[in-house]
Amino acid sequence: MSDEKNLGKSTEQVAAEEIAAPKTEAVKTEEIAEAVQETPKAAPKVSAHNTAAAAAFNASSEETDIRRKDGEKVQLKIKTNKIPYEKKKNLYGYGFVALWAIGTIWLFIIPVIKSLWYSLCDTSLLDKSEALLKGMTSAGIYTEWNNFYNYKRAFTIDTNFAPKLTASLGEILPQAVVILIFSLFIAVILNQKFRGRTLARAIFFLPVLIATGPVISVINGDMASQGVSDAVQFSSLFKTDLVSELMEFIGIYNINQQFTEFIEGITSNVLNLVWNSGIQILIFLSALQNIPPSSKEAANMEGATAWEFFWKITFPIISPMILANLVYTIIDAFVSSDNEVMKYVLQRSTDWEHGYAAALAWIYFAIIGAILGIVCLIINRFVYYENE
Amino acid sequence: MTDNNLNNVANQPAENVTENIAETIADINAGVAAAAPTGGKAKKKKSDYRVTNFEIIRNYRHYTTKERKHYKYIFWRRIASYVWPFFRFVIIFGLSFVILYPILYMISTSLRPQVEMNDPSIMWIPKTIRLENFVEVWKAIEYPQALWNTLVLNIISSVLQVGTCALTGYGFARFRFKGKGLMFAIVLLQIIVPVQIILIPQYMQFRYFDIFGLFNAVMGDSLTLTNTNFAMYIPALFCNGIRAGLFIYLFRQFFRGLPKELEDAAYLDGCGPFKTFISVMVPNAASSFLTVFIFSIVWYWNDYYVSSMYFSNANTISMKIDNIATTVSLYLTGEVGNALDFVVWMEAGCLLAITPIVIMYIFLQKYFTEGIERAGLAN
Repeated sequence: MSDEKNLGKSTEQVAAEEIAAPKTEAVKTEEIAEAVQETPKAAPKVSAHNTAAAAAFNASSEETDIRRKDGEKVQLKIKTNKIPYEKKKNLYGYGFVALWAIGTIWLFIIPVIKSLWYSLCDTSLLDKSEALLKGMTSAGIYTEWNNFYNYKRAFTIDTNFAPKLTASLGEILPQAVVILIFSLFIAVILNQKFRGRTLARAIFFLPVLIATGPVISVINGDMASQGVSDAVQFSSLFKTDLVSELMEFIGIYNINQQFTEFIEGITSNVLNLVWNSGIQILIFLSALQNIPPSSKEAANMEGATAWEFFWKITFPIISPMILANLVYTIIDAFVSSDNEVMKYVLQRSTDWEHGYAAALAWIYFAIIGAILGIVCLIINRFVYYENE
Repeated sequence: MTDNNLNNVANQPAENVTENIAETIADINAGVAAAAPTGGKAKKKKSDYRVTNFEIIRNYRHYTTKERKHYKYIFWRRIASYVWPFFRFVIIFGLSFVILYPILYMISTSLRPQVEMNDPSIMWIPKTIRLENFVEVWKAIEYPQALWNTLVLNIISSVLQVGTCALTGYGFARFRFKGKGLMFAIVLLQIIVPVQIILIPQYMQFRYFDIFGLFNAVMGDSLTLTNTNFAMYIPALFCNGIRAGLFIYLFRQFFRGLPKELEDAAYLDGCGPFKTFISVMVPNAASSFLTVFIFSIVWYWNDYYVSSMYFSNANTISMKIDNIATTVSLYLTGEVGNALDFVVWMEAGCLLAITPIVIMYIFLQKYFTEGIERAGLAN
């Protein structure tokens, strides 16, 4: 907390200095400027900032006035004397970030620590009279250390959590890879020039508008979130299994049971796939736009095919965005509010089991963090950074 | 067709190759001739050097190995340039259909009476059109009131959030100060940490809102900010609204991309950093502001997780849609029924919910799709 106060103060001080500085020091600058006729333009009249800078410079270099004619030394002096102004300017950085810093300490860091604490405790919500009895200043959550019981409960006693966790892990990771490949493919297509491109882009970004909202759960026919016991897929139209019909037509249906299941597993939710990759397409598209057209020309001159161009130029250039996109996809899938685990956590907290809900959330987050760490470590070895 | 034949060609003995290709290519060649620009002497001269695919095939056996490689490349490039647009069209058309399918389905179902939901003879066009679905849903979810609530909450939060996130992003992009690296790491952490983890303590802070015990001392009790819009405004004001970390990151990327000379000019004119930001950087970043603003609107519009935590009774459109089956069945029959019996009303409600935002999207679509490319999302 003291940090924010200091931040606030420092910016105020800067502001105060800003006002005070020009009035007192502008006089000095003018005097000096008159004395040194080589640089008459250095005498500022209006600019508060300029004067402050010049004043700072001149004030500290008064003693070196005699050596003014020595060009080099003056140059040196200018360089060294710039620092106070730079410093002052950089203090403004704190001013710009102050609001965020206060908000983050108050609404992010403290809650994070608190929720970590809740997860280690038995919690109960008390109103004011009860709270005063327990020695708290006002109403709130009363916590009592319970020796990691919440964590033990999650893994040993609770029969719902572990299956949901493994199910969502097994579901999300393959899906993230599929989404990634798919969205890259679509982005490459949408980046080409063809008639009706604007319309195609508009359609492909439509899911961005809708997919994060509750409408998507109605679209998916997922009635579980509607508080109705019958979790039936009501929109029977979506069940038409085009892909298996297509496979039968080509003649590869049921050659190998596992193969068929694999294909069906991926394609049966093309709808989900398309609807969940809006933002990824957007990110890839903007990355593709950053590839200089000259590289395409050069590759053409060298006789590269489109395939070679993609793997040897496009792919390395956008590889940082592939990593970023993978991270985004995984996070998005894990924390989306129709994720089973997330629903379960919310359910626990609406049942006022805050400590237990916090423990579940932390277990979940630790697993996500571990997965992300591993993914980043592996993929980062193949990512090409232009600056290095 | 051509593609299939070409694949066969690859497997056949070398003697037959040329003839086979010649057959399949004949029609494509006609296309080349038609598409080739006629007229202009310079162009005519160029076309003298042009080797058609047909000629490549005819002369293939006379070429040296180096020439073969060269002409092979040209040959396949041409083939690809004819086949690819067709495939591209099929892919885009198919996927566009998949995207629009639920929306078309929504429109189709929302217009029919519930009885016709189970009629197997109806696929897309209902036998009777029943617009009362919309009227009933409109009344059931109290649409005008919900829309007004959502708009107020949405626009104020988004404006606050975009403004403060831009300030912060600018601070991170242009100033060097102690602890910046650590602070930015926290921003990245904010993007990653799911809101669910911090929501409960955040809720407690708004439920028993107090600044250093001040309200407790003055008014005898802490304030209750839940169930008021301030529970959404205050995080937005302090850069901690919905997905604020992402917005800060976007703004930082964007401001870093702007040339430094812009600000230097403003500083020379005597503007302080804040005034420079308002008068020089903001106008230059207008498209980026609009993009982030639209994103913010969309995410606030769609949010029901955070708001369902702060508001005990559903009063925004998203929260109403989240509960729509129950709401509609309560309105129509007076008791909670099976969602399957209220599909048409639910679909109508969904349509009502997405209409405002789709209208906004249609008007701002150009900025949304083009602006994001300039917003420096990449890098």
